[in-house]
Amino acid sequence: MSRKQTPLRPYFEKMPDIGKELRAGEVRRSQANVELVREQEEIIAQELLRVKNAGIPAEKVHSRGGMTIYDRLDYLVDAGTWNPLHSLYNPTDNEEGCTGVVNGIGKIEGKWAVIIGFDNKVMAGAWIAGQAENILMVTDMAKRLNVPLVWLTNCSGVKLMEQETVYAGRRSSGAPFYRHADLNHLGIPILNGIYGTNPAGGGYQGISPTILLAHDGANIAVGGAGIVGGMNPKGYIDEEAAQALIEGTKNFKGKAPGRVETHFDQTAYFREAHDTEQGVLDGIKDYMKMMPAYDPTMFRVAAPAEPKLPASDLNLLLPANQKRPYDAIQILARLTDNSEFMEYRPDYGREVFCGIAKIDGFPVAFVGNQQGVFPGYPDYANGEYPGVGGKHYRQGLIKQGEFVTLCGRDNLPIVWLQDTTGIDVGDLAEEAELLALGQSLVYSIEQTELSMMCIVLRKGTAAAHYIMCGPQANNNNAFTLGTPLTEIYVMHGETAAAASYARRLVKEDAAGNDLTPTLDKMNQMIKDYQEKSQPAYCAKTGFVDEIVSLPKLRSYIKAFTGANYQNPKSITPVHQMLLPRIIKG
Amino acid sequence: MPELLAPIAGNVWKILVAVGDKVELDDELVILEALKMETPIYCDDAGTVTEIKVKEGDAVNEDDVLIVID
Repeated sequence: MSRKQTPLRPYFEKMPDIGKELRAGEVRRSQANVELVREQEEIIAQELLRVKNAGIPAEKVHSRGGMTIYDRLDYLVDAGTWNPLHSLYNPTDNEEGCTGVVNGIGKIEGKWAVIIGFDNKVMAGAWIAGQAENILMVTDMAKRLNVPLVWLTNCSGVKLMEQETVYAGRRSSGAPFYRHADLNHLGIPILNGIYGTNPAGGGYQGISPTILLAHDGANIAVGGAGIVGGMNPKGYIDEEAAQALIEGTKNFKGKAPGRVETHFDQTAYFREAHDTEQGVLDGIKDYMKMMPAYDPTMFRVAAPAEPKLPASDLNLLLPANQKRPYDAIQILARLTDNSEFMEYRPDYGREVFCGIAKIDGFPVAFVGNQQGVFPGYPDYANGEYPGVGGKHYRQGLIKQGEFVTLCGRDNLPIVWLQDTTGIDVGDLAEEAELLALGQSLVYSIEQTELSMMCIVLRKGTAAAHYIMCGPQANNNNAFTLGTPLTEIYVMHGETAAAASYARRLVKEDAAGNDLTPTLDKMNQMIKDYQEKSQPAYCAKTGFVDEIVSLPKLRSYIKAFTGANYQNPKSITPVHQMLLPRIIKG
Repeated sequence: MPELLAPIAGNVWKILVAVGDKVELDDELVILEALKMETPIYCDDAGTVTEIKVKEGDAVNEDDVLIVID
C-alpha cells in the first residue's frame, strides 16, 4: 500500500486557531466604519474608471476591428487570477492621466506571470513621463519573483513634444531594455506579443524580449519611415519649408519598415505571425505552457483552505478613525488559510507579531504591528510612559530582526502588515539603541534572498515605513499595497506643522505680533498633508503599487505566494526548517 | 450591578449615553483619550444606565468606574 503526506505534518497540518467571530453588537456599531471605507472605495473606483477611459474611446478601437489592452488582458489571463498594479500611477501628473502602460500579476495557462502592456488607446502606446519608472517596477517584480514577464507591445515611440521627460537620465525609457537584458541573463524569460507600429523606442520594446510573436499588422524598426526629413539649412520652419513638408507628407507612400514580411519571412526574429489579435495571445499561452514551474505539491505543507472567518469582516474591523486601536490578529485571521497562525515569541516585543501561516497551502511568514496600549512596556521607559501600538521599541525591533533572519534561513516569503506611527524617540529610546536596531532590521531584510510584500493597512509613517519592508527595500519588496484607509507620510501633518512653525510661533508671540498668519500657514500645511497622504494620492505618486479593497487583499497575497513558490532559486527542505521548531520550543 | 471600568488612564473625551438609556452588549458608551489615541469603552452587558460617574474632560485612572448599568 502506498501512502502520502505533507511534510512536517505535526507542525503545519493544524496550526493554532486565531481570531473570533464578530458578535451582533460589534457588527452593529461598525456600520458607520463600513460606510467610511466605501466612500474611499468609491473615490478609487472613479479614478480607475478615469484611467481605463484614458485616450481614445474603446469603441473606436473596436470599430477598426482591434482590441484594447484591456480586451487583450481579458483574453490572455486566466479568469479570476488578475491582480492589477500601478493602475493610478502618474507621478508627474501627465495630461494623459496615466503612464500609458497597464500591468499586474496573473496566471496564464495556470502559471503565474508578471504581465504588462501598452495602452494602445493612449497616443498609440507612446513613451510618456513616468512610464519608464512604472516599467522598472514591473521588471523588478519579475526579477524578484523569478517568474516570466509577458509584454503586450504596441508602442509608437517617444511623445516627441515632451522628449526631455522620457529620454534623459539613468532610469529613463531606455533603461527597460537593459532590464530585459538583465532578466534574460538571469534566466527569466520575457514573452512579447507585438501589435501595431513600433518604431525606435517601440522597436527596442519589440526586439529586447526573449520570444517575439507578432500580429500580421505589426512592425518593429530602428525608426519609422513616416518621418519626412524636417531639417533644413535655415534652422527654422517658414512658409516655404512648411509647404515642402506638406507636399512631402501628402506624397509619402512608403510602408513602415520592420513588417512581418521582413521580420518573420526574412530575418525570422518573430517566432510566430498571426492574422488575428487573439492568435498572438494564443501563441503566448502556448509558450507559457513551456515555462518552468514546479507543481504546487512540491512546496505545499497542507491542503489549500480559505480562512474560516469571512474577509467581509475586514471592513468592520479596521477602523477608519486613525486614532482608534483594533486587534491586529483579528485582521490576520481573515487572511490566512483556516484562520490559523503559529506565532513567534508572542510574549517578547508585544508591539509586533511575527509568525508562520499558510496561504493556499504554502508556508508564509507574517510580520505586523499590534495596536492598543501596553502598560509597563517598554522596559527601558521605567514607567515614564507606556508603550503604544503601532510604535516600535527595543524588543520588537530585535524580534523582527531575528525573525527575518530565520525566515531567510528557512526560505519563507514574508508578508508585512504595516500600521505604524514610527519608532520610539527621545533620550531613553536612543539609549535603548533604537536608531541602530532600526537599521539592523534593514540589514536583516537586505541580507536575505527573500521575496516580500508589504501591505500598509492604515498608517505608514517615518522610518518605521521603510524598516518594515516598504517599497524602499528594493531588492526584496515585490510590491506594496495600500487599502482604502491607507495614509503614508513622513510624519503626521499636525506634527509636521508643529515641527516647522513652533519656533516662529514663539518668536511672534514674544514680539506681540498677530499669530494668525503663522497659524494659517500651519493649517494649510496640515491640509496639504491630509490631501497628499490619501489613498488615491498614494497610488498616483507611487507610495504604494495599488490600492486594494480589504476583502481583496488575500487575492494579492495568494498571487505573491504562488509566484514565489512557482520556480524558486533556493529551497529549504521543509523537514529541515528551524522556525517551526523554535516556535514549538 | 455591572460597572464599566476604565481600562487605561486617560481623559474622558466623549460620553455617548445618558442616565436612563437602554444599552446593548457591545454598544460604545465612552471614549477615553490617552497618548493621542481614542480608546472606546464598550458595554459588556445589556441593561439601563443608572449612573454616570465621570464627565467629559475628567482625568481617570486605570480601573476607575465610569458608568453603572443595571
